[in-house]
Amino acid sequence: MSNRKTTVVGAPLPRVDVHEKVIGTAKYADDYQLPGMLHCALVLSPHPHAEILSVDTAPAVAMDGVVAVYTGEDVPGLNQIGCVFQDQPLFATEKVRFVGDRIAVAVAETRLQARAAANAVRVEYKPLTGLFDAREAMADSDTKIHTGGNLVTHQKVRKGEGADALERCAVVVEKEFFVNYQEHAYLEPQGAVAVPEVDGSITILGSMQCPFYVQGGLARALGIDKNQVRVIQTVTGGAFGGKEDYPTEVAVVPALAALKLGRPAKLIYTREEDMQISTKRHRMRMLFTAGADRDGTLQVLHVQQWVDAGGYAGLSTVVAERANTTAGGPYRFPNAHVDTFIIYTNNLFGGAFRGFGNPQVTFAMENIMDLLADKLEMDPVALRRMNLLQVGDLSITGQPIPESAPSVEILDTLVEQSNWTELQEEAAAFNEQNRWKKRGVGLALSMYGCCLHAGGQHLEGSGALVQVRSDGSVEINIGGTELGQGAFTIMAQIAAETLGADYRRVRVLPSDTRMVPDSGPTVASRTTIMSGNATRGASLQLRSRLLELAGKMLECPGHEVAVLPGRYAGNGREISFGELCTEAFARKLSLFASGWYAPPPKDWNTQTGQGTAYVVYSFTGHAALVEVDLIGGLPKVLKVFAAHDVGKVMNPALLEGQVHGGIVQGMGWGLSENLILEEGRCLNPGFTDYLIPCSLDMPEMDIRTIEAPYPDGPFGAKGIGEPSLISVPTAVAIAAANAVGARPDELPVTPEAILRWSQ
Amino acid sequence: MKQDISFVLNGKQVAVATTASRRLLDLLREELGCTEVKEGCGEGECGACTVLFDGRPVTSCVLFAFQADGHSITTVAGLDTAEKKRIQQAMIDAGAVQCGFCTPGFVLSIKVLLEENDKPDRDEIMDAISGNLCRCTGYERIAVAVECLAKGGGA
Repeated sequence: MSNRKTTVVGAPLPRVDVHEKVIGTAKYADDYQLPGMLHCALVLSPHPHAEILSVDTAPAVAMDGVVAVYTGEDVPGLNQIGCVFQDQPLFATEKVRFVGDRIAVAVAETRLQARAAANAVRVEYKPLTGLFDAREAMADSDTKIHTGGNLVTHQKVRKGEGADALERCAVVVEKEFFVNYQEHAYLEPQGAVAVPEVDGSITILGSMQCPFYVQGGLARALGIDKNQVRVIQTVTGGAFGGKEDYPTEVAVVPALAALKLGRPAKLIYTREEDMQISTKRHRMRMLFTAGADRDGTLQVLHVQQWVDAGGYAGLSTVVAERANTTAGGPYRFPNAHVDTFIIYTNNLFGGAFRGFGNPQVTFAMENIMDLLADKLEMDPVALRRMNLLQVGDLSITGQPIPESAPSVEILDTLVEQSNWTELQEEAAAFNEQNRWKKRGVGLALSMYGCCLHAGGQHLEGSGALVQVRSDGSVEINIGGTELGQGAFTIMAQIAAETLGADYRRVRVLPSDTRMVPDSGPTVASRTTIMSGNATRGASLQLRSRLLELAGKMLECPGHEVAVLPGRYAGNGREISFGELCTEAFARKLSLFASGWYAPPPKDWNTQTGQGTAYVVYSFTGHAALVEVDLIGGLPKVLKVFAAHDVGKVMNPALLEGQVHGGIVQGMGWGLSENLILEEGRCLNPGFTDYLIPCSLDMPEMDIRTIEAPYPDGPFGAKGIGEPSLISVPTAVAIAAANAVGARPDELPVTPEAILRWSQ
Repeated sequence: MKQDISFVLNGKQVAVATTASRRLLDLLREELGCTEVKEGCGEGECGACTVLFDGRPVTSCVLFAFQADGHSITTVAGLDTAEKKRIQQAMIDAGAVQCGFCTPGFVLSIKVLLEENDKPDRDEIMDAISGNLCRCTGYERIAVAVECLAKGGGA
């Protein structure tokens, strides 16, 4: 299947949703302006940790244009919005646990009136001791953020021996690493519109990755059945994980207002609110110890790591599972003990972000490889190469690495494309010639498990609906979402390829909970595999019906008919796809099919962290050349090389777009994006001081792909969304530190760190 | 207290009453239906709210509505059709669009760049679009779109 020649799949076709985006008519959440629509503004805690003594809404309710002010007492269902654990009130009533915890919502005729009213709500607090360091919070028994204590969970991997085995190793390295938060900085802030329907149900139009999460969260908080909540994803202006679980918290607020008041209501975050209160990539500390034989063979990995969840668990335990089970990167360790602690603090809210716990451990693991190479006096590339996991090798969870694992090819490609040896020599030569500017190189590999971790497999099923109209045009609904990554385009390509339909006449409709079964989230680089297989499955059903009909029309057996672009051929004759569909309609043949894809269950032992963690892995390598200025410490990324293992290139233009975007977002976290906290309050909640890369920061980028088909992927495809970022921050950080002869131990690598290391 | 102002919006004269503190962005989006002008940051950094003010690109989130009085404001919807099609087709062909939220702002910045310099090199392009942030594309394919336009493409 995967080696079959394809014409639509694999072609650099334009996006299906591009026209409305370039002309500016695409409607994002805030672009919906409905008759009678009310506006919401949140009352947020200014304290990181405090008891709520009283809430007085009266002054706000009395203001011009204010229709209502709601608190936790007004929530008709469960005042609860926690995604995995029920630890997070929708509106805090007794205490607040981070700066930005929701207390109330003001609902008014205009946005400015709502905001003024929110500011007028009087809340009395009794401040409590705040905990701002995860490791200290874990040890602190006096201050409990939640009644059960500050440790959310402790996850483990137990393969072979742990620290004891280090004694038998010829070399051992140990280092502690710190990585700070990263803000998603999707250009479109969080937002949703709620519309009350005449039958008492509610429709949500919102910016999101996971409509089914929103549906479930709203049903629980509003105390209504899921079939009373319809969620439609609006065109979404970037997400990157930040719109996985979080949009439930956004949508439920206007939904409450709409349900109570019988009028549409809207909530749009300001950028400042979004940066302070929505989820971030987790801040983590990681203590990595690794031991190897004299010849470089890795023997032992011992990891302790502390994940700062913030005031609520959110998805932290799920994110941590990736950090836990892929801590060893793409390497073979016969012995691996990992302890991952997820801890409540009064800092920002940790959550999903492209890579999902993996970029953090990749930073630690890749630096450990460099330190081991230093100590062994080995070439770091050779050390990596000899220890790479290959098909059949056991990962640190004891899982045999499944088919499609071209790890060695990825490394060799990266070395070749970057002229790695010459790149290092050129940097050294430059440094000889220049006193105030220095150049360094960095190389990093990563391994990412596609689709959901074994612990989340109860969500691992996805649906699609494919309909062919009598004129040969096609409509598709999928349970996955389009975030800019190009999912809808890939689905159109899969359907067109499978059916022989005209790609330009395939429409992929907005994701809508009413059209498709709960398909789980659009995360984990799973959409091409999950929604893709569902779309393929539905299309195959229709294809077999059309083949049979074509056989009758062409007067030959259906299995002898060939599906070609736009036509079906057999018996020396052809009919167009449109003619075939017209005939199908005339004969009352149903051209409506639903597809459902759910991979086989994965075995998993939560106690030992052993089992089938993921269905398949993507291997990636990045190399970077970075120049630093020794006067101000500013880094400039000059070149980035990316080698990706993708199974099958479904659309080279979209693939390149994902890889470019991953490089830039990864560079940001590596070198310039630094969220600064003071007692839980973000001091730089805006793009003026939180510096995401702009066009002038762009390096030269060189991309290579390797197609090692994944047997269970549509046309052999695996995921690319997250691997595009994961090893980038590490590669640029290593390169920036290398320019001044150092090894990095923190992300981002700030100008201050560069100057410190250069002393 | 409201004040009457009038200005040219996308080639048509408009007259509205506005409060002193209202942002131009809000007037355009909420009252005049120009939802193609996006709010990304509210502090003039991201360029999603770019409009042309007497032909110059400005971020409408940091202008007051009354500042438009007597001037000409152009959004992406108001560009001359042939020119708009050319830029937009180049962006489609180059794969310069992902989530699309920043795109209308980029189209305007590119238009102004090409008016001033019809053969910009890569550095000039990157400089001209540096006031527009994009979190999806890495700017590469946007720059390729402009290079294509400079060679007469996009038609």
